[in-house]
Amino acid sequence: MTVGFATDTGTKEEVKSEEGTALDQPWIVLVWNDPVNLMSYVSFVFQDYFGYSEAKARRLMLEVHEQGRSAVASGNREKVEQDTVAMHSYGLWATFEKAGSE
Amino acid sequence: MAKAFKSTRRGISGSLEPGEVRLLGNLFRDIISMLEPETAASSDPLAAMVGMDTEAVAPSDSAVRRLLPDGVRANDDEALEFRRLTERSLREQKISALRSSALLLEGNPVVLNPGQARLMAQALNDVRLVLADRLGIETEDDAEKLHEVGDSSDVEDVESYLALVYNFVTWLQESLVQALLTAGRQKR
Repeated sequence: MTVGFATDTGTKEEVKSEEGTALDQPWIVLVWNDPVNLMSYVSFVFQDYFGYSEAKARRLMLEVHEQGRSAVASGNREKVEQDTVAMHSYGLWATFEKAGSE
Repeated sequence: MAKAFKSTRRGISGSLEPGEVRLLGNLFRDIISMLEPETAASSDPLAAMVGMDTEAVAPSDSAVRRLLPDGVRANDDEALEFRRLTERSLREQKISALRSSALLLEGNPVVLNPGQARLMAQALNDVRLVLADRLGIETEDDAEKLHEVGDSSDVEDVESYLALVYNFVTWLQESLVQALLTAGRQKR
């Protein structure tokens, strides 16, 4: 990812986690890092599409940026397929797979 | 010179020079023509109606492939099956965002509600993805180097012109996204 001209807002990290376990959420959506998408835009997409808080969206965005990818959502197969196409419509590079498949 | 987008009481507002509107309009139209399906619509009307395309294959142009990436990795068969189920509607969604954005830019100043601003951000992102592919941006270092092309005096050839356009669209998208994030915070 890349950085635009604006400075970062430095919001606090949220502590709670609302993700379920891999057992009841058997499929995941991975978003992959790329050198073009703006860090701000990726955060915006996670807030806009998934309804995540600013802090959670930012944490996932940084995970994509620093680790090369992040599991940003989970659910049944139909849901993760839908989420994957939605990420593509925003121009993010996403794939879906079975949780724990590596 | 364009004015950065700002979140205002009337909506997300920005202002572009006529030459910039023409440039962006041309870029949006170029990408629309890249996204219009390469083959004739599937002959199965029911399949077409639900957005399926039984003939779809991974695009040969790397830029189009970046706009319409594989949804499954390391499994070509599954990736192709997913593409056949979803690619047609993804193309249509992108074309529609690009068309709307070209029209919205005609306003002066440009004033957008959040839904319109989202479409514009998507369209500008698609423009950047295509320009980045043409410029061969593959790593974050490649992207960094382009920042050196700051104004028209740095333009020496097609490549540096594309870099200048890329930097302009990046600046515009960043300001639009910051305005969207600000508008989102104010709503809460």
